[in-house]
Amino acid sequence: MSKKEVNKSVSEINRKIEEGNAVVVTAEEMVDIVDEKGKKGAAEEVDVVTTGTFGAMCSSGAWLNFGHADPPIKLNKVWLNDVEAYAGGAAVDAYIGATALSESERMEYGGGHVIEELVRGREIDLRGKGYGTDSYPRKEIETSLTIDDLNQAILSNPRNSYQKYNAATNSRNETIHTYMGTLLPNHGNISFSGSGELSPLNNDPEYQTIGIGSRIFLGGGQGYIFQEGTQHSPKTGFGTIMTVGDLNEMSSDYIRGVSVRNYGVSLFVGIGIPIPVLNGNIAESTGISDEEIKTNIMDYGTPRREKPKIREVNYKELKSGKVEIGGEERPVSPMSSLSRAREISQQMKEQIQNGEFFLSKPARRLSRDDELKPMKQTSPSPVAKQLMTSEVLTAKPPDSIKVAAEVFAEKGFDHLPVVNEENKVIGIVTSWDVAVALGNDKEKVEDILTSKVVTAEENEPVDSVARKLQKHEISGMPVIDTEQHLKGIITSEDLSKLIRRGRIE
Amino acid sequence: MSEKILLEYTTEKAEEPIISSITRQTDIPINILHADLTPKGGEIFVSIDASEEKFEKIVDLFKESGVEITKVKEGIKLDEDTCLECGACISLCPTDALSLSDEDFSIELDEEKCIYCKACIPACPVDALSIESF
Repeated sequence: MSKKEVNKSVSEINRKIEEGNAVVVTAEEMVDIVDEKGKKGAAEEVDVVTTGTFGAMCSSGAWLNFGHADPPIKLNKVWLNDVEAYAGGAAVDAYIGATALSESERMEYGGGHVIEELVRGREIDLRGKGYGTDSYPRKEIETSLTIDDLNQAILSNPRNSYQKYNAATNSRNETIHTYMGTLLPNHGNISFSGSGELSPLNNDPEYQTIGIGSRIFLGGGQGYIFQEGTQHSPKTGFGTIMTVGDLNEMSSDYIRGVSVRNYGVSLFVGIGIPIPVLNGNIAESTGISDEEIKTNIMDYGTPRREKPKIREVNYKELKSGKVEIGGEERPVSPMSSLSRAREISQQMKEQIQNGEFFLSKPARRLSRDDELKPMKQTSPSPVAKQLMTSEVLTAKPPDSIKVAAEVFAEKGFDHLPVVNEENKVIGIVTSWDVAVALGNDKEKVEDILTSKVVTAEENEPVDSVARKLQKHEISGMPVIDTEQHLKGIITSEDLSKLIRRGRIE
Repeated sequence: MSEKILLEYTTEKAEEPIISSITRQTDIPINILHADLTPKGGEIFVSIDASEEKFEKIVDLFKESGVEITKVKEGIKLDEDTCLECGACISLCPTDALSLSDEDFSIELDEEKCIYCKACIPACPVDALSIESF
């Protein structure tokens, strides 16, 4: 072994690929190689490391060109299998976004499914509207077509293949449906995304070899990175890529429309980036193991942009299927396919070994300084305490129901929070409960109270309160501070004040 | 041999401790997987781990007690051609009937362990899981 540092170029590696003697390994295999031979030894031995990931990538879509109709139409609105595509470009260009919902089937079918059907060669129904001009007199069109009838079908994804993903759990006492799947109450399960040591950007976190023009595996075909992805945030470890590739080359093994319950539709996209091992540093970064890749489990029960962190976890633990929270083991679901991620890395390895896939030197590396900005909001979302009624009458468990009945009758309230000695909410009684109880000879509030109370936290945005009212079909709820102390009550009537102000629908 | 059967009975039988008395008579534990009770009667879905002979005896005893019995042959199905192998279903399964293979991270379904709670079905983003209704 020479003492000289390893220093290869992409064109040297491509020459080896052409000659059929490039050494290619997957990112999983590279972990042990770097472990055994060190970064220099691994760089001497290995030329290319292949990676892979296959998960829901909402920020995806395809540019389609339908060709001109006769007489011609400038599509102003267009639907494909009843999913609206964006037609704000030239006459017969449209962009079908992965998360657009079907007008008729809503969350059961969407843009992701349309893209999959195109890849499968199936017929798509097109319905379009124009406004009628001298050049484009036609106002309506209906037809059916397959990918073979299109001039172009280009998958063009604004944000794919996040470097890192947060894992998710749910502290609420109810099941929630999120883009991280179904989350059971009280941290009943955990879900995570990303393929850990196989994850493309994790294997070159400094983007030493990845940039604009990098040739990648995209949906079963060859595609390219054409820019940093939207929300690219390398400083916090959340780098992303924008990708492009010909849909005609892709396969439904790696392009799949999905429907995530009560959340929406999306597209599963398979991506792999080949990393040329140019030197020891790159060898070292491709040797990263699941154990070294850490992420945080966040509480998705909090409907805010900033979610509380529950604990740190590494991908080895996540892939084991059980992770402990609060002294108890919780079952874990991957949201992206680990088996297909591995398949992608192996396929790309074979393609490179067979001389079917060459690496490209990027025209420019991905930026390493972008930061993520939140949305500037000219009118911040109002929170519960701004709308609640803070003078609330309450009951204590031993109180007589008759007293409660009087309160409802005299004050015209419908909700009476039940509190303990410390003014913490322990239940609720509604006018309906009291009406039923009076007919049943029950005497005390504690006999009729509902202890499972839906509450709002005082700083909770009203949009979230409105969602709770709707979801639980209730008309009001107590407002509490972080320690459960009663601060007020908020009702649908309070929220309706906002409707008058045009704040919510 | 572990068999899953569906017991159907009318309201008149609701006050009789049929399951526990059959368990005592045969000394075979009967595991209740799912119960649906309405004013018109009820359905109880149970699994019985017993030899064929004992199992037939239990079936006879249920019949003698006026309980209708359906053997459940089909259970939860995983359509492997449709499955994305993502794993969204796995953590929702209360009995580990669905799990990730240690070998290649594919999704494995152990029908023996399934209690037909159906929690996994709506969680599948490609409708690869289904159940034969019983």
